[in-house]
Amino acid sequence: MIDTAGPKAPATTGLLQRPDRRTLVRATVITVLLLLALFALPPLMTGYYVDTMTQVAIYSIVTLGLGLLVGRVGLYSLGQLAVLVIGAWVGARLLFGTGQPYILVLIEAGLVTMIIGSLITLPALRLRGLYLALITLMLAGAVTVVLATLNFPNGGSGFSGYNGSFLHIPQIRRPSFAGTDPAYYRFSVVVAIVMFLLVFVHLRARPGRVWATIRQSEPAALAAGINTTVYKLWAMALASFVTGVAGALLAGADRELFSIDFPIQNSIELLAVVLMGGAFALSGAVVAAFLLAFLPALLYQLWSVPNDWLIILFGVGVMQVLATAPGGIADQFPKDMKRLYRYLRGRLRGPAPGAPGAHAAQAKEGETA
Amino acid sequence: MPSWSDFQPFIVSGLALGGIYALSGVGLVVLYRATGVLNLAFGAVGAMGAFIAWSIIQAGAPGWVGWIACILFAGVVTLGYGLLFGPALAGRGPLVQAVSTLGLALVLFGAIDLLWSTSAGQSRSISFPTDNGGFMVGQVQVNWTQVIALAAGVVITAGTHAFLRYSKLGTAMRAMANDREITATLGVPVRRVEASAWFGCGLLSGIAGILLADLAALDDTTLVFTVVISSLAAALIARLRSIWVTFAAALVIGLVHDLITPISSLTSYQDMTPFVLAAIALLVMSRGQVMTRSREEG
Repeated sequence: MIDTAGPKAPATTGLLQRPDRRTLVRATVITVLLLLALFALPPLMTGYYVDTMTQVAIYSIVTLGLGLLVGRVGLYSLGQLAVLVIGAWVGARLLFGTGQPYILVLIEAGLVTMIIGSLITLPALRLRGLYLALITLMLAGAVTVVLATLNFPNGGSGFSGYNGSFLHIPQIRRPSFAGTDPAYYRFSVVVAIVMFLLVFVHLRARPGRVWATIRQSEPAALAAGINTTVYKLWAMALASFVTGVAGALLAGADRELFSIDFPIQNSIELLAVVLMGGAFALSGAVVAAFLLAFLPALLYQLWSVPNDWLIILFGVGVMQVLATAPGGIADQFPKDMKRLYRYLRGRLRGPAPGAPGAHAAQAKEGETA
Repeated sequence: MPSWSDFQPFIVSGLALGGIYALSGVGLVVLYRATGVLNLAFGAVGAMGAFIAWSIIQAGAPGWVGWIACILFAGVVTLGYGLLFGPALAGRGPLVQAVSTLGLALVLFGAIDLLWSTSAGQSRSISFPTDNGGFMVGQVQVNWTQVIALAAGVVITAGTHAFLRYSKLGTAMRAMANDREITATLGVPVRRVEASAWFGCGLLSGIAGILLADLAALDDTTLVFTVVISSLAAALIARLRSIWVTFAAALVIGLVHDLITPISSLTSYQDMTPFVLAAIALLVMSRGQVMTRSREEG
């Protein structure tokens, strides 16, 4: 777990300081896991799971963006899926319309999404929490409406790039170095890593500390001379950027995009899994992506569980998380494991060491045996 | 450009829709003022009630059994949620409480999809005996269901107004909207007042659900999201405060939504009406806001 908000988080000079042991262990574990995900996993997985893991990598960027807004700044956005849709649309349009290198398209889609996302939420940013959540919920509804009319580009001409009379829809292209599914999976993981690093750097520097201040108390942040609107907009812009990149990445992964695949309830599901995964830690974003993209695929493959059960599960999960475990799985799981470890150790060794009578009891047992 | 006569029928249907949004909006505002919870599961509860009513009517029971079942189900589920999560989340701020009701919405949405699967391709509908009768206003046919919808909006808004002003329970709710702690100190049974607010809000969501299932469609996405978004927009325009402003805003939203229908270039965007109107209203109202005051209000 990367706990950048922890008390041990070093200041900006942290990169030059000698990292302590825990940081080193964490960094090593993360690196090993990433190397496994990049090189060991693809040959072991069937095509179904390669596709699923690609989705996990892409959606981890989306949950990263939303987790940043919710956990770091306290902005509950219900329109993050709409932002993803904008990114996917722009990405698909650019990929069909131009021959630009793929990486450039990713960045452009991110930038366009960043501008649109910031512009749309700018009026809402001046409002307090609840109003922002509601206006973004309506935004999600509005984008669904526009998308149903506009459709995703499918290689047609004109601004929308949509041709309703196509019988054979051309596929969205992929980069030359990542044409196959496993290669595209690796590419997605690498892009996700870059996005996580981008957010990580932000959190470690001044914006991260300012966001933490805003989350604690906006009036206090104002009183400290912080331009809260600028920093809230910054967070929104950063989240929109990474989500836009994820959208363009999704365009290449799915190769065909349909507006029907982005119903409005997915916006709510997205917030639910982010809260369940844990919005306060970066690892929570990965957990959330697994909940959102991997769990349904796994359950469907194993027992053909319909997705509706997952929706119900996420609904129950979000209520449970808010009522009893605000830190989500990323926060709760290590705690529970520690508790389990202590419990098991206690059971194996008998009563806690040092407890009166522990030795005597053991000695007595030895005698009777 | 369509002529005036093209618009006339949509004034009637728009007012009927506005009436439903109004009673939903009033339900949302009263619950929010009394308990501090914005019930985003409002539409989902009504939707599930409407589907239950459909099943009951389909099984051969008379229509009124289904309608009452819908309204009661909505009331009981909302009350149950309020009793279970109201105290657990009290003091966690309006945002967390609102997001938690989204959890209930997800549960109900998944359950509706599971129990009344749309994959079979069958279309469902609920119809009232009042759908057929009616009268003419000028050249426009008005059916009694539309009259009922608008009347329900007016009656419930006026009734709620009178209830809050003159009844003991209503006074307690207004007191709680102002200051929960002081109200509790004065000996008002806060929990019981909250529970009745939850139950009332649930009943209203059931009424909205069954009416909308008839006038619009018995379709989960429509019922779950359109109602919430439209009535929420009305409530937002009223700053979650005045029920009469909510009522007026709801009528405007319903009217604008339906009046767009004949304008062919805008028809497919008509569902954006609540979002656009609420965004404009919020933009205008957020000017000159004082940040450091009233943290609890937002």
